[in-house]
Amino acid sequence: MGSVDEAPDHNDDAMQRKLQKELNAASVPIVLLAILARAREPLYGYAIAREIEQRSDGAAVAKAGTLYPVLRTMAANGLLSSEVEPSVAGPPRRYYQITAEGRRTLELWRRAWRRTRDFVEPFLDAEEDEHD
Amino acid sequence: MTELRFTRIADYLSALRKALHGADPALLQDALYDTEAHLLSELGDQASDPAAVERACARFGDPQEVAEAWRDNEARVIQALQPAPRASSPKGDFMHRTFAVVTDPHSWSALLYMLLSLVTGILYFTWVVTGLSLSAGLSILIIGVPVFLLFLASVRALALVEGRVVETLLDVRMPRRQAPEAPGTLWQRLRGWLGDRRTWLTMLYMILELPLGVAYFSFAVTALSLVLGLLAAPVAGWLFGLPMTIGVGGWIVPGWALPLCWVLSFAILLGTLHLVRWIGRAHAKLARAMLVQP
Repeated sequence: MGSVDEAPDHNDDAMQRKLQKELNAASVPIVLLAILARAREPLYGYAIAREIEQRSDGAAVAKAGTLYPVLRTMAANGLLSSEVEPSVAGPPRRYYQITAEGRRTLELWRRAWRRTRDFVEPFLDAEEDEHD
Repeated sequence: MTELRFTRIADYLSALRKALHGADPALLQDALYDTEAHLLSELGDQASDPAAVERACARFGDPQEVAEAWRDNEARVIQALQPAPRASSPKGDFMHRTFAVVTDPHSWSALLYMLLSLVTGILYFTWVVTGLSLSAGLSILIIGVPVFLLFLASVRALALVEGRVVETLLDVRMPRRQAPEAPGTLWQRLRGWLGDRRTWLTMLYMILELPLGVAYFSFAVTALSLVLGLLAAPVAGWLFGLPMTIGVGGWIVPGWALPLCWVLSFAILLGTLHLVRWIGRAHAKLARAMLVQP
């Protein structure tokens, strides 16, 4: 992996971002569902973003701004329910809560994710071993 | 990679607005609303501290990146919502184009909107006229200001409600959040509302909804009674021996021609539904033009 660090290339940078975006499209919904499944109370957007940031030690791959369209879509598809409540400070907040449908989807997603991870990892490990 | 720095929330929002240029206005409104709510939540009472705003905006993401996320997401949703059979049916198919309107749920929901618009039209019209005249009448007293303020807020809320109705029944994307507004004192907000073209267009829409609602309702009821009457006439003729007459002169329709009533009934229904779809699309365009910020 050292070669990437030695030659920081703008093209590589852009490529990396593009690939990350593709992967995020699949992983961000799982993360959001998982957070809301564990939460004991409805959460609003910023609270979710903060949770992600804290739990990933600042190494979060998805920017907070990209979470909102996903939240909205999942609510429109019935995976989340949402309601707006006035807040003491600032504008009213939209609180999200996972639905039964959302929990079912999360379970399916979890299985698919684990299978994908188990499928990919051995090949990447083998490739790294060859390089060593 | 040019890293843009934002020291004011308004600057970030306008950069996001620029990055979303050409996107659906309803999507734009939702994106700006969520972004502003997030930044305000994160900043708390540091909203006027340039360094804090800069950090929060950097964490939120590059406007281009955020805009892309919204666009990609919308594209995926539209693709997922697109019913599969529509793509497979040939567009030029005359039979399909003529008769599909009967089985399309959107024709019936548009018909429902036309029936409903009389009620909403009366409500909106009454509300706007009452609110405006009450505010004008009370303006000589100090109480006129809060009344007018409440009235303006209610108009903005009703615009969102009407948008939800239009999206559900007329199948056009409308905002799902309130339009974002500049933060500030009550006075600044009031000035923002007064200067907003959309506030006045919304009131105009609400007033227009009454005559339109009357026209829509009359049309829908007339067409529906015609269809149902023609459907029922032969049955009444056979069951109770009631003759069917046409016109004031009372020309009695001969018994053999009665089944033709059903054909006529279906033809009128078909024509009505086509017209309803057309009116629905036109009305949705009107609602988008007047209720959604360009």
